[in-house]
Amino acid sequence: MNKLWILIKSLYKQKLRQKSFILMTLLYIAVIAVVMYWSEIKSIFINDEALQVALINETTIELDSIFSSNNDIAFTYPSESENIYKQLEQEELDAVVKISEENKNLKANIITYTPLKLTDQSTISSLIDYASKIYGIQQLEITAKEAEHLLDTEPIIINTNLNEDLADGKSEDEKQSGLWASYFVGIVIYFFLMTFLSMITTDVASEKGSRALEMLLVSVKPGIHFQSKLIGVFLIALTQFAIIFGVIYGFLRFTDGGAKWEIVKSFVNEISYSYVLYVIVFLLLTIFLYLIMGALFGSLVSKVEEASQVMTPAILVMLVGFYVMISGIGNPDTMLIKVFSYIPFTSGMVMPMRIGATDISTIEPIISLSILFITVVVAYVISLSFYKRSVLTYSTGGIIQKIKTVFKVTT
Amino acid sequence: MTLTLEHVVKKYKDFTAVNDLNFSIGKGEIFGLIGQNGAGKTTTFRMILDLQEQTSGNITWDGAPIKKINRDLLGYLPEERGIFPQMKVEEQLVFFGELRGMDRKELKSELDFWIKRFDIEEKRYDKAETLSKGNQQKVQLIASFIHKPKFLILDEPFSGLDPVNRDLLKNAILLLKERGTTILFSSHQMDNVEELCDHLCLLKRGVSLFSGSLLELKKQYGKTKLTIRTDYPIEKLEKMTGVLEAKEERDEYVLKLENESFAQSIFEAVSNGLYIEKFSLDYLSLDEIFKHKVGGDNE
Repeated sequence: MNKLWILIKSLYKQKLRQKSFILMTLLYIAVIAVVMYWSEIKSIFINDEALQVALINETTIELDSIFSSNNDIAFTYPSESENIYKQLEQEELDAVVKISEENKNLKANIITYTPLKLTDQSTISSLIDYASKIYGIQQLEITAKEAEHLLDTEPIIINTNLNEDLADGKSEDEKQSGLWASYFVGIVIYFFLMTFLSMITTDVASEKGSRALEMLLVSVKPGIHFQSKLIGVFLIALTQFAIIFGVIYGFLRFTDGGAKWEIVKSFVNEISYSYVLYVIVFLLLTIFLYLIMGALFGSLVSKVEEASQVMTPAILVMLVGFYVMISGIGNPDTMLIKVFSYIPFTSGMVMPMRIGATDISTIEPIISLSILFITVVVAYVISLSFYKRSVLTYSTGGIIQKIKTVFKVTT
Repeated sequence: MTLTLEHVVKKYKDFTAVNDLNFSIGKGEIFGLIGQNGAGKTTTFRMILDLQEQTSGNITWDGAPIKKINRDLLGYLPEERGIFPQMKVEEQLVFFGELRGMDRKELKSELDFWIKRFDIEEKRYDKAETLSKGNQQKVQLIASFIHKPKFLILDEPFSGLDPVNRDLLKNAILLLKERGTTILFSSHQMDNVEELCDHLCLLKRGVSLFSGSLLELKKQYGKTKLTIRTDYPIEKLEKMTGVLEAKEERDEYVLKLENESFAQSIFEAVSNGLYIEKFSLDYLSLDEIFKHKVGGDNE
């Protein structure tokens, strides 16, 4: 086995066994699982009993089919009596909805003793809305088929863009899906960058601080050491991905008879496979870029305690990218988003949003990806040469002072 | 000669760390590099190990530039102590051994041997960070030579060790020498240098004040240290011809002579033909020579 692989193997094994790695992986899985199974979890922990509502129908139309019971609301259809209001006071009923006619309009009176929660109010209101429409249609004296057509009718919207340079125009639904997928991707990239930037910086810093590095560098060239850190931590990142997405895939595929997996598949279909491919390439290149920066920053410090100090600039850049991405949730077509989708340090978080949620020509992501790729290569070459100088230079002071010292003692 | 440094210079922007350094070390020899803090010892080590580039001069191993030799032939113990804190002792030593191209079987027997010799068998499966400072130092030491290097550099290997462990290390160094390892080491403790070194180089602010055999260095000063245990009054001793200085140290007198030829007349005067408990004429200790060489120029 050559030295590079011995170093990678050692780093990989060490990190894989670290409690922080195991805990973080479990935490990611737990968070994603909670999001995925929120409705099921909610029903376990928040055992909401169905709202008890009495419907008093004083109209000539049949409303029972509209106000039908479900998990959230249980409807009863008594006739009006004093007893009903007593039940309300005794909280046996949560609300009484009295529907009557007035000037060819439906009039609904929601009577409560304890005020309703906003969500319950909204649910009842939307049912009343629907009932009102049905009532309105019935007033027109049209046939049931005509009424059904009137209610079910939806416009057919086709997006046609005459500019052939642009990708085929996305529908609003596709853009919405892309937007939320990009939001999710942005958050994932941000957390992964944070984790692995910190991991590589601290690792190099701790090896340098403990002077174990000096012993290593007698047998191993600094360049090999640098590469081993990048590849080792990158493999750890891939492993964490594989574990998280493997477990999530298992959840999706083998619970609920694969129903959730079908939802994900149709979602991915909606946002396109090329989007997924772009996201993966952006994610991997961005992680690699930040790992290069992390290793370089780690090589500047004299002891591990200083690692967080040198990481700050990279974290700030990352935060800027993250907030720009967040700003895109409101409007993904702003100039700010466009500019940051080309900056290599932030494009990984921002460009997926443009690809998913805006009409963008095919060349733009490729340009952004190329800029990112070139930056990774240039950063690698520069960092490698600087790493050779900085890794055995011990100095105090801020990051600029440290860089100055490196140049002073190695030129 | 195995290792040779010729006119080696290391200059930084505003100061010269090593200036025109020359010395050679023979195969299987123990060579001491001594000097105060900041004398340029670590810089010299780093240049030899190709961790830093010299500004000018040549460093060769068996006649070839040291940069070109197989790195696995080298071993290095840095001055500052440290190992991988999270790794277990055995895991750590296996890692360093494998990294330097040792096969598992050989590594295992070396590991068993040194772990036993340094008396850390009980700590074998403990994480390095849980070990005492002294034991961590032992692990780091073993890590520096577990792969049986041909050339071993030890930067201040004795610092921080208690007398028992110092002896353990001293014996280990002698064993490595027996096995044919060439050793270059630095130390502030001159008694260790004196006991172990065949040759040495004395550095002061990057400049070599002396390079050669220990005996040669001592001979430069001659046998000028005279220790006497007698009732003879110190006032009289001080006034004798050839005595530069006389001091009372516990129950004996230590005299500094101009040269060893004056010892004869002092002996005759002090003993006066009678029994004398102690009369010892010696070379100066390395410690005294070091202080004289390094400190003397400061004055």
